Amino acid sequence: MKQIEMLAMILAGGRGSRLLDLTNHVAVDVVGVLTQYESVLLNSYVAKGGLWGLDTKDSGVFVLTPREKADAGLDVYRGTADAISQNIDFIDTYDPEYLLVLSGDHIYKMNYDKMLDYHKEQGAAATIAVMPVSIEEASRFGIMITDENNRITDFEEKPKHPRSTLASMGIYIFDWKKLREILVKDMVDPESAHDFGKTIIPTMMNNGEKLVAFKFEGYWKDVGTIDSLWEANMDLLDENCDLNLDDSTWKIYTEDVAALPAYIGPNASIDRAYITQGTSVDGTVKNSVIFTGAKVGTGAKVIDSVLMPGVCVGDGAVVTRALVADDVKIGAGAVVGSADSKNITLQASDI
Amino acid sequence: MAAQTARTSRCRPAIFKGVHKNGSFTFLGRYRVIDFPISNLSNSGIINLQVYIASKPRSLAAHIGTGRHYNINSKRGRVQLLFPTEERVNTIYNTNIQALYENLEYIKRQSQEYVVIAPSCMVFKQDYDALLQDHAKSGADITALYHMVHHARGGYETCHIFDIADGKVNAIRRNLGDEDVRAISMESFVMKKSLLIKLIHDARAISSMFNLSDVINAKIGDLDVRAVEHTGYFGPITSLKSYYTANMQLLNPAKAAELFTPDWPIYTRTNDSCPSQFYDSAEVKNSLISNGGEIRGTIIDSIVGRGVTVGKGAVIKGCYIAAYTTIGDNVHLENQVVDKYVTINHENEIIAGEGELGYVKYMDHL
Repeated sequence: MKQIEMLAMILAGGRGSRLLDLTNHVAVDVVGVLTQYESVLLNSYVAKGGLWGLDTKDSGVFVLTPREKADAGLDVYRGTADAISQNIDFIDTYDPEYLLVLSGDHIYKMNYDKMLDYHKEQGAAATIAVMPVSIEEASRFGIMITDENNRITDFEEKPKHPRSTLASMGIYIFDWKKLREILVKDMVDPESAHDFGKTIIPTMMNNGEKLVAFKFEGYWKDVGTIDSLWEANMDLLDENCDLNLDDSTWKIYTEDVAALPAYIGPNASIDRAYITQGTSVDGTVKNSVIFTGAKVGTGAKVIDSVLMPGVCVGDGAVVTRALVADDVKIGAGAVVGSADSKNITLQASDI
Repeated sequence: MAAQTARTSRCRPAIFKGVHKNGSFTFLGRYRVIDFPISNLSNSGIINLQVYIASKPRSLAAHIGTGRHYNINSKRGRVQLLFPTEERVNTIYNTNIQALYENLEYIKRQSQEYVVIAPSCMVFKQDYDALLQDHAKSGADITALYHMVHHARGGYETCHIFDIADGKVNAIRRNLGDEDVRAISMESFVMKKSLLIKLIHDARAISSMFNLSDVINAKIGDLDVRAVEHTGYFGPITSLKSYYTANMQLLNPAKAAELFTPDWPIYTRTNDSCPSQFYDSAEVKNSLISNGGEIRGTIIDSIVGRGVTVGKGAVIKGCYIAAYTTIGDNVHLENQVVDKYVTINHENEIIAGEGELGYVKYMDHL
């Protein structure tokens, strides 16, 4: 097999975690997606490489679940780093120089090629993408402390009193040979948490390796919670939002559904909405995002809400400040969520 | 019965003043007319296709590609794009028989016993496999599909009509608009490949201006041509007016449900556009809005293609707006078909009266 320069591994995470976007693949031709759960669903979505343009002879997308191996009884990923360790054999077949490690729960647009250039330019063992956050937010993130040359001198996981405002975005480029060596030792260390943030990065720091921060500017959001997923959707309604999905030079690819354009019925009233094909709206939609195949019945009201694919809101039903999960049916006249709720209502079953 | 080869014949009438005439024109915002015959054939399990392209092949070739997005198996199936090889010294030679004749070798080379011929400029849903099975059982030479209409006088220009008696076609003629109730030919035929090859030679022996329908009509005394009626939505596209009507009828959800059913997907090439953004000044009623739009104005009883921008204060009523067109602020359009990549900024009123229809050219600036 042809050697590839950089291989990407996406940590699709645990139960309930869904991969929402695969960003453009300028620098990357082969993507491994690591997951413990829901692999059938994830596989059916992600592994069609053609959807992402990853369908040439030497490219591909692979969903990698824990596998039983002859000499080790490992059947779960014990941590983020372990997910990579257990797939060393897979990575070795491509013999990459660099390994790009990503998270599946983040919404952003990034040209990884530029990050790789920076990594090479700095001669780093690892490069971590960071973005400036406010000091209040800083305690929610892994915070990198850097010198004037962007070299990482220290880092703190969710610090109470942050010493810096550069938050790790969970995007890493490693020199594969160096990372491989550390992973091989980490695998058999019974004390290890097998986690990039908790063990691998500190080990590299202790070894005196050069770790640098790559500063990212633009929209980035972790959508690991219902509220943040809802917020990220609402951000799309903001005309001044930094996340531009309507960029023909940097498209965000997704599944290709055979569906009609959005049908807006004679009784509809639309006021600030993001509506995709395959939908049908004959009620009021205000400040809301409507996914493929969702239906809003006559006289229904959908306000400050997100309707995931296939959701059906019956005639006269009212949905406010809610995130309605895939294929949920909301009966005629039903009421979901409320305007003054603190948290976003997750409606995951029919009502 | 082995797999079958299907051929989509070319669309004869020049539509939109000669700009598009080969099924590459857009339909219902996100489709091309050619998507309907290819999806019908693919859904029917007919995966060896030849598409005859009369002229301007770039756009169709790019759209159809390998056919993978039509669910056509890349190993066992095939979409072959075929082009004219001889120069047309006169447009009278622009016949489907001529196109088939020039590619006769490629027809002979196929292993299939039967052929299905489907038109590239009519929008409808049809299970061609069912038609093929019935054809084989019936023992007829040809099975021909038709649609009964009750207002043939005011439309269906250039369509063929069938004279039918006892389920057999006795004659194929032009629709002269002299009767209201007519059996309109859907230009869809099933026959053995050997018969098609014979008819191609027969046609050339009689007249170089003959199309397939003409030669079937000329030989109808020797042939058993069985007529099968199609029901459901039927949108033949023979003129700007019929194009507009075929689109607008589908704004009626009940009509659209005849053409689009979950078990019969209509495929098209994705262009990965994002959803459409509706701003607070937008007002939209009874319209189909494709993805990638930025809507700030009013849209009523209209169909809007991908990536269309509609400015603040703009009013669009009874229009078909094709992809990537920009309608500026306060522009007022009524009863217009606006082609792709048009920008309307300087003129603020383009209105055709009730029953009238206007057309704005591809890439035009107004």
